[in-house]
Amino acid sequence: MEKSKTHPIFSVSDFIAIVNQTLEYAYPNIEIEGEVASFKVNQGKFIFFDIKDKDGSIGCFMTVWQLRVPIEDGMKVVVSATPKLTKWGKFSLTVKSVRPSGEGALKKSFEILKSKLEDEGLFLQERKRLLPLIPQYIAVISSTGAAGYADFIKIVNERWGGVKIDVANVQVQGLAAPDQIIKAIDFFNQKYILPEALIIIRGGGSADDLSAFNDEPLVRSIAGSRIPTLVGVGHETDESLADLVADVRASTPSNAAQILVPDKFEIIRAVKVQVSSLLPRILQSIDQQKKNISAELIDVIKLIEKAVDEQSMGVLNIKSVITQLNPNRVLARGYAMIRGIIKNDSIIEIETNKAIIKAEVKNVIIK
Amino acid sequence: MSSLNKTIKEKTVELTKLVEWFDSDDFNLETSIDKFKEAEKLADEIEKDLLSLKNEINVIKQKFDSEG
Repeated sequence: MEKSKTHPIFSVSDFIAIVNQTLEYAYPNIEIEGEVASFKVNQGKFIFFDIKDKDGSIGCFMTVWQLRVPIEDGMKVVVSATPKLTKWGKFSLTVKSVRPSGEGALKKSFEILKSKLEDEGLFLQERKRLLPLIPQYIAVISSTGAAGYADFIKIVNERWGGVKIDVANVQVQGLAAPDQIIKAIDFFNQKYILPEALIIIRGGGSADDLSAFNDEPLVRSIAGSRIPTLVGVGHETDESLADLVADVRASTPSNAAQILVPDKFEIIRAVKVQVSSLLPRILQSIDQQKKNISAELIDVIKLIEKAVDEQSMGVLNIKSVITQLNPNRVLARGYAMIRGIIKNDSIIEIETNKAIIKAEVKNVIIK
Repeated sequence: MSSLNKTIKEKTVELTKLVEWFDSDDFNLETSIDKFKEAEKLADEIEKDLLSLKNEINVIKQKFDSEG
């Protein structure tokens, strides 16, 4: 740099460097909101687009790896960038990140990425893995200061015990959130002893707050997790791509806790019902035994009665025979009984039904 | 898997087997009272174990921000 009497004289490249230093000092990181125009990707690596409003337009440059959400012409975005004067003297923004701005743009970006990931099969039911029935070791990724995390832990503690819970405290909204969550996912996936389930939770918030969970690298990281994932983000009506790609989706952090662990009080109740159902089984068996014994007793009594009847009949028959053989019955029929020796001139005794007669035997003729 | 939880699992399996015995052909009145008392004891132990279990929560010290 030469110096004139009043002003320094720069070379072109020095001046560009000075301007860039000044810009970097004055605007180390600016955020500009505008509409995307002339969006194009060169060589699959470099992205060029303009950001504009009704009165102005600025050229933007970034790499494809920096673009975390899909954008297209007409979409309203906020770029985080550093202003720069190129060596060709063209003013542009070197973009560090870009995010959709406003509900319409967020929705549009969401739909584009959803469709892309859907085409890749990332949301297919066949990819979904089951969570353990009763986990012993789980990992949670959330902001430990957030209400959603507090709800999750409270409900898990109420419902079940004996679980080892490792928690990664990360930002769950804002530009830094997706990378922090990805690092936490990698951290747990690289552990020697893997957790049985990886739970990613965040409470409710605006669409912009929840947009971190529509970040493409994050969604892919969840899809690539070796550990089965359970994602509970926002409220019941919220849908994020992280939800869709997870093995199991919970509608809220509280719901995630309900899905993850059983309710010990329900188990205790079920166990008690099981045991109390055994008593009627015993009582029923006792009743049956009583009925069987009664029936057997009745059979025995019948057999005894039958035997007694048979015996009685025999006795009656004998009694009848004996009655028939009674000499008085013979005498009653008109016969007489003779006692004594039957020979001529002997005295014999003749007994009839009504009298006993002494008689002399005469004229005995031997038959 | 914690040994305490494993015990609950074992006790639950044992209880299930006992309950199944009551519906099986092996059921007989003579041994049913003893089995019932055994089931009652198991249920009480399961309840006690479940109510005494606490979760172990450990917040990882590692930072997950860019510099971490």
